[in-house]
Amino acid sequence: MSTVYEKLATAVLEGNSDAVPDLVQEGLDEGKTAKELLDNGLVVGMDEVGVRFKRGDMFVPEVLMSAESMKAGMTPLRPLLAEAEEEMLGTIVLGTVEGDLHDIGKNLVGMMCEGAGFEVVNLGFDKPPEDFIDAIKEHQPDIVGMSALLTTTMRAMGHTIKAIEEAGLRDQVKIMVGGAPVDQDFAERIGADGYGSNAPSASDLAKKFVGAA
Amino acid sequence: MQVKKTNYTVNATPTFEVLTEDEIEAIYYSALRVLYETGVRVYEEEGVEVAHSGGAIVEDTTEDSSLVKIPPWMVDKALSTLPSKVVVVGPDREHRMELYKDQIYFGAGSDTPFTWDPYTGERRRATYEDVKNFAKIAQAMPNMDFHMSLGIVQDVNVGTYDRWQYLAMLEGTTKPINITAVDLDGLRDQLEMAYIRVGGKKEFEKGPTFSLYIEPVSPLSHSEEVVQKLLFATDHGIPFVYTPCPLAGATSPCTLAGTAVQALTESLFGIVLSQLRKPGAPMIIGGLMSNMDMRTTVYCYGSPEMALLSAAYTQITKWLGVPEYETAGCSDAKMFDEQAAMEATFNATTAALTGGNMIHDVGYLEQGLTSSMDMMVATNEIVGRVKRILRGVPVNDETKALDVIEDVGPGGHYLEHDHTYNRFKDLIWQGELTDRQNWESWDLGGRETFRDRVHAKVLEVLEAETEPLMEEDMYQELRRICELADERHKDEELDFDMFV
Repeated sequence: MSTVYEKLATAVLEGNSDAVPDLVQEGLDEGKTAKELLDNGLVVGMDEVGVRFKRGDMFVPEVLMSAESMKAGMTPLRPLLAEAEEEMLGTIVLGTVEGDLHDIGKNLVGMMCEGAGFEVVNLGFDKPPEDFIDAIKEHQPDIVGMSALLTTTMRAMGHTIKAIEEAGLRDQVKIMVGGAPVDQDFAERIGADGYGSNAPSASDLAKKFVGAA
Repeated sequence: MQVKKTNYTVNATPTFEVLTEDEIEAIYYSALRVLYETGVRVYEEEGVEVAHSGGAIVEDTTEDSSLVKIPPWMVDKALSTLPSKVVVVGPDREHRMELYKDQIYFGAGSDTPFTWDPYTGERRRATYEDVKNFAKIAQAMPNMDFHMSLGIVQDVNVGTYDRWQYLAMLEGTTKPINITAVDLDGLRDQLEMAYIRVGGKKEFEKGPTFSLYIEPVSPLSHSEEVVQKLLFATDHGIPFVYTPCPLAGATSPCTLAGTAVQALTESLFGIVLSQLRKPGAPMIIGGLMSNMDMRTTVYCYGSPEMALLSAAYTQITKWLGVPEYETAGCSDAKMFDEQAAMEATFNATTAALTGGNMIHDVGYLEQGLTSSMDMMVATNEIVGRVKRILRGVPVNDETKALDVIEDVGPGGHYLEHDHTYNRFKDLIWQGELTDRQNWESWDLGGRETFRDRVHAKVLEVLEAETEPLMEEDMYQELRRICELADERHKDEELDFDMFV
């Protein structure tokens, strides 16, 4: 008979989001704490997802299903974790910069980061610097992620970072950037803290920023 | 001519079809349903207004966009005025594309951030010089019929790079060009440059020397810039390519038929808008569809699904009677290697066999992020082979050559016969870079691989002395437009160099 931890990890791995809330309840009924269910169940499942994805044994749609299951588990756990004053992994504000309507890459990053245990505030696309600044003030994120698919809108990333600096908020957040034409060199030139070449690497980078990897 | 029955001629050209006529109709009528019932989101007020005044239903208007639903009769009406043939010429009128059913033209892709340096062998950001050199290569390749900027010029200002790209291409080629524009102002400047290059607005209107690349965003979104460009191009008689780039499984359904339905819906909106604005406005609709790679999330440029989708879309556009934009000569490989050659061969062959019109993206590597001169030169050779295959096996009295067989008889040979002498050069394909030496010659010649020969050809073209394609005065006049644009837009730039 597998433990509730194993069952949770398996449900996350298999992307069975319907089963996860019931399993969380089962664990709570057994007297496990929210933190224990998160660390020994959900996170164990997502870690295995990460391993299999990197090995090429899992594919993006499957990883997203797992991330969805992780989220389904977080919904009942979140208030309990807050009550117990447990530290969450962190909050990420994400958006595609001004002038750019490309959405999918940034959304993938958002889903992967949620799967990793972050709170994600997804601003959407075509977001001017002010929207990023307002979101930083409102959500107090640890990380800001920006996406651009066009060379012309890559420039807007630089403008946004500058605006965040001018608003006096730069020191509060780590900034990561991504998008097909972006690379590490460009990220450094515009003063970002890091570059993610794809969604999993952005998620890894975010974990690194908060000292969780 | 082999006559089987009255008025029946055997088609000598091999064809490749992936849809039946019923299936094409099913896709088309499904697209009409999506356009009417799901609708498309339009982020430009004037575009919404044009559609609305033409009969479209406008719903769910937000601060920046509206949902626009087009009833089928509007599409019927638009298709009735849409030209089934579009012509784009080079500035000296020597090179021309006549885009309509089964007319095949190959050319480059556009706007890769990176390129392979032909001398240092490093992958780096593309520059003005690279774009000029690519145009020079395209000019020298007989199977390249039009050109696009194989590299984003990144050693100039970012907001005005499009003018510099156009100038670099004009320095290197006199073939028809498919331009990109960063915004409406960029398009306006490039049109001005085209007028100068061709000798005035009237000359341009007689035969446009560029078409414009416009890319709506999948799924079903038409951005402000996209609609502005469409309206401007329509107003000024600029033929434009309206090509969504859906990714099956990510920004369109995973099923190829579903992706074709969605892409067609996206293009049909462009057709309706352009024909409402100006009946008879010329356009070319896209064929750039592929799948997302589910391990890496990249847009696949060399997948069999891309070839299938392109083939399906070509058939649909032929059935509709709309000139089509196709995709081939490109690969997901990082450098010009065996995978690149394999993928380019596959997609170039299927594109040609289905009869795509404006077949672009020759020279693309790394999912369209890096351009390669070697890839272009190799694809030129591949296309040469494909064109030979397209000529098929004509069967008639002359080609059956019964009199020649009778003449030579048992035990003779054909090498000295006039029948051979007069035809072999035309009938037996001879590649420039294909090796058919015997072992000894190849061994003594330094054992050159295809890669070696391709690269040597690249360097040969780059280093060949060529006459300037423009007078110095004209070049200076065009350059002035680029510089004025830089001046006008300098405040939008970052206060440091973005790339170099």
